[in-house]
Amino acid sequence: MVPSRQRRHLFQCLDTICIFPDLSAMKNKINFQRLVLKNWVLIFLLLLICFFSILEPAFFSIRNVNNILIASTAVLLLAAGETFVIISGGIDLSVGFIMGFSAVSSATVMQFLFAKGAGYPEPVCIIAGCLAGLLLGLIPGLVNGILVARFRVPPFIATLGMYGIANGVAMKICGGFPVSFLPPLTGKIGNGYLAYYSSKSGLSLFQKPVLTDRADILALVRLVPVSVIIVAVLLIIFGLILSKTRFGQHTYAIGGNVDAAIRSGIDVPRHLIRTYVISSFLASCAGVLLVLRFTMGNHTQFGATYELFAIASVVIGGASLMGGKGTIYGTVVGVLLLGSLEIGFVMIGVEVFYRYIAVGCILIFAVLVDQVFPDLVHNE
Amino acid sequence: MKKTVIGLLVISLILAAAYGALAADKTFKMAFMPGIADPFYFTMEKGAQAKAKELGVELIVGEYPKAWGPESQVPILEALAARGDIDLIFTAPTSSEALIPVLKKIHDRGISVITVDTYIGDGDYTKKSNYNFPLAFIGTDNYLGGKVVAESLAKMIGGKGKVMIQNTNPDVSSVVGRGKGFTDGIKGTPGVKLVAHEYCLDNQEKAQAQVGAVLQKNPDLAGVFGVNVFSAQGAYRAIVNAGLTGAVKVATWDATEDLINALKKGEVDLVLAQKPGEIGSLAVEWGYKYLKDGTKIPDKKLVPGFFVFTKDNVNDPDAQQYIYSK
Amino acid sequence: MHKSFNFSDRDGLINLLTRIGRNWAIIFLLIELIFFSVTGTGYFSLLNFQNILVASTTVMLLAVGQTFVIITGGIDLSVGFIVGFSGVICAKTMVTLVAAGASQILSIPVGITVALIFGLVPGLVNGLLVAKLRVPAFIATFGMYGVAYGVAEIISGNVPVHNLPPAVGFIGNGYLLYYLPGKLSLFRMPDNLAPEELKLAVGIVPNVVIIALFLILIFTFILSRTRFGQHTYAIGGNMEAAKRAGINVSRHLIKIYMISSFFAASAGIIYVMKFVTGRADAGSARMLDAVSAVVIGGASLFGGTGTILGTVIGALIIACLEIGLVNLAIPTFNLYIAVGAILIFAVLVDQFFPEITYKK
Repeated sequence: MVPSRQRRHLFQCLDTICIFPDLSAMKNKINFQRLVLKNWVLIFLLLLICFFSILEPAFFSIRNVNNILIASTAVLLLAAGETFVIISGGIDLSVGFIMGFSAVSSATVMQFLFAKGAGYPEPVCIIAGCLAGLLLGLIPGLVNGILVARFRVPPFIATLGMYGIANGVAMKICGGFPVSFLPPLTGKIGNGYLAYYSSKSGLSLFQKPVLTDRADILALVRLVPVSVIIVAVLLIIFGLILSKTRFGQHTYAIGGNVDAAIRSGIDVPRHLIRTYVISSFLASCAGVLLVLRFTMGNHTQFGATYELFAIASVVIGGASLMGGKGTIYGTVVGVLLLGSLEIGFVMIGVEVFYRYIAVGCILIFAVLVDQVFPDLVHNE
Repeated sequence: MKKTVIGLLVISLILAAAYGALAADKTFKMAFMPGIADPFYFTMEKGAQAKAKELGVELIVGEYPKAWGPESQVPILEALAARGDIDLIFTAPTSSEALIPVLKKIHDRGISVITVDTYIGDGDYTKKSNYNFPLAFIGTDNYLGGKVVAESLAKMIGGKGKVMIQNTNPDVSSVVGRGKGFTDGIKGTPGVKLVAHEYCLDNQEKAQAQVGAVLQKNPDLAGVFGVNVFSAQGAYRAIVNAGLTGAVKVATWDATEDLINALKKGEVDLVLAQKPGEIGSLAVEWGYKYLKDGTKIPDKKLVPGFFVFTKDNVNDPDAQQYIYSK
Repeated sequence: MHKSFNFSDRDGLINLLTRIGRNWAIIFLLIELIFFSVTGTGYFSLLNFQNILVASTTVMLLAVGQTFVIITGGIDLSVGFIVGFSGVICAKTMVTLVAAGASQILSIPVGITVALIFGLVPGLVNGLLVAKLRVPAFIATFGMYGVAYGVAEIISGNVPVHNLPPAVGFIGNGYLLYYLPGKLSLFRMPDNLAPEELKLAVGIVPNVVIIALFLILIFTFILSRTRFGQHTYAIGGNMEAAKRAGINVSRHLIKIYMISSFFAASAGIIYVMKFVTGRADAGSARMLDAVSAVVIGGASLFGGTGTILGTVIGALIIACLEIGLVNLAIPTFNLYIAVGAILIFAVLVDQFFPEITYKK
């Protein structure tokens, strides 16, 4: 590998040389290389999509894109919340179980109010349930934040403890069984699309056309799932908070150097509490969304390891567990990468255990390039 | 004054000890060590608790392990046995080999052993072997159940078509057995072809995504077998979302209220109910009989069997007892 | 009698609190043991304490290896499946050799050696990825986690490996001494015991605990008394300074990840000995507990701090807690909550003590 000092020297030479027009093409090439390396994970994702589409043409279809997006909605929200926490230098292991807790809480409220049809009207039940889930879901985040910020419990232990507490409470509420008999409208919202197109009945907004023939049903084109719209809105809002507001700036500052942040007047404890509340809030959004999609509230199973995938996505997206780096955009690409790998391997028919090996290698490779040439990327 | 207080304390202490000793003689203490945190075992506990209350037996339940396997189960099992006051343990061994020495040690200390749902060795405790010490194996056969589902599903799709298995975890012996039973079961109907065998790790979202992907690749998919509660929920959600309810037949396992409700709505076509409540109840009942007067279980085996719910019998009053509930 | 408040009294109090603060982990462990012994049934018994030690060997070995990695500021997520990977290789080797006609005396040590050698490979790869290619430790080891699992399942054919030589279980479940009223036997339970005698027989010092202790002591020495250990702390404290001081950081990190891998492989072999079977998913449930043990023991995930003694106490705190709550027959959902809350508490109180001591 070329030592960085020599590389810098090389660039300086190139800069001087490039005042000559015939060598400006070389400089453009280097700029292009920098662009590729900076967005490596995204480009890698696109290459992967091409790879899967060549091996299995059915991969490259609107329905499959929808499938991948819908499957990723929960992890997207969890990982977005995790991004805030990791940038601030912490970690949140409880997100998967907060999701289960809020799913169970909101479903229980909906079930109770709906009373199998004999209770309140459906919209009332649903709104009440969603609010209950979202509000209750803030509590674990608040507790996490207070433990970390005021009591200086290491985030790993604080959120690991909350992982057990949130799950235990969720299982107590539902008794270990799924909470069902919810208003049917939940399923329509959670699984609905913005628009449907069918050759038989044309374009229709929100309303699914009634088709009977199997061929017609299979040919129905569904555009833009409602659940994905909800998630996209949340991601945009929180992405903007992170990148464009002072709150976001402070998060990076705390993650970069806590002492400097304190000295520059940031109320670090209060900020950290808010960070964990954001993580908790997004996790409870994920939980409520699950209820809307599956028309039932389930606690999170231990085997699902949501938090591991959320954290992995954030790190693939460019964050460091030491704090100070990371973006929502990077996290989203990381989540989509994992999601595409999952669906892609199912479609091309790779056997389960070879999949684990392949995913492991691919993940390492996806991150490798960014690390091997950091000088090239960061020497602006 | 002091002497009176001390005297009273001593007398009450003696009375308490005597009461404790007498009470200890009267009630049997049993312990239930489940396999994993799952509605199937919760229902088993419920059946066992009801029977224990009826017979006046004290029942202690071990922690439901978070993961399947001896690593998680054995410490809890040994902790229960180490209490020293347990007369009988009934457990669902999470490894047919690893639990043999562990349960043998427990048996040697004078605690009787019954295995429920799964077995050690090969499940035949009547022949001479190093695993013939349990009183009995009480449970249903996952492999056989898988076969039953295969045959029923094959019939439902008209004897030909593509099917897939939506499984959960390749390391859990019970669901692996169901998958194997299903795979062998469809061999009896040559027109039925298995196109995919996926694992969702108890994550219903993954199950939905995997079934959706297989459907995308095989638009003429005819049937799906969701091997437990979570894979079933994801599987039927995928079929409903694709608008193919009824066109693609969904077979599920474990009769939670939600799946029964889905059966009534037509989103699911078959629900296989094991009888966990009955298994738990039988374990307590026969354990009590053995502790009281040494009654042995014939053949050391009790198989309560399955109940298959379909749209035709889901509303039968006799069938309601097989639904799992809290 | 009058009591006057003077400075020597106050200093004494502060001294006491400081001493408690510094040794909080072990004091918490003792409080735990006392609490459960009093409220539990049969908790305070030789059998139960030995069960706790045996149950905690997997977490303890994983955690000790993880300590080295965490001190350098990294993390090793692959250990969860290296346990299964090396366990499967160990079991498969033994089964294959025995089936080919080799004796148990030969196949068992060969199986163990092969598993240890293969068990070092993931560590080597992790180390190369992290040190030479600068892949973040989280991703490198997360990737290796998947690879180890996939390879383990493929080798075992997705079936737990069966038919191991019986001596394996004999070692894994055996004790150094067996005591019966009147008889003391070394290594094996006396034969032909009547059922009543069998009930009273007690094993003393489980074999697997001896093996684990042996490994832990060796590496405690390495971490605390050798230059290797010093360098480990140096790298964790400030990697740049360590480089400038002449430490070959890359090579050192590779060795660190190989140590972690080695401990995971040892845990896998001990698993095979305890359970007489090789399973690919052997250690996955214990990984989170292992990292928790290291953090409870005083290490920081940012690196630079941590001791093996702290880690061992952390692992014991977790094991004693779970067994204690099971002993009390706490209903499962309450148990999950209790474990979470008590773990937080265990670390929480530790934070109060330094404040008191530094308030001058």
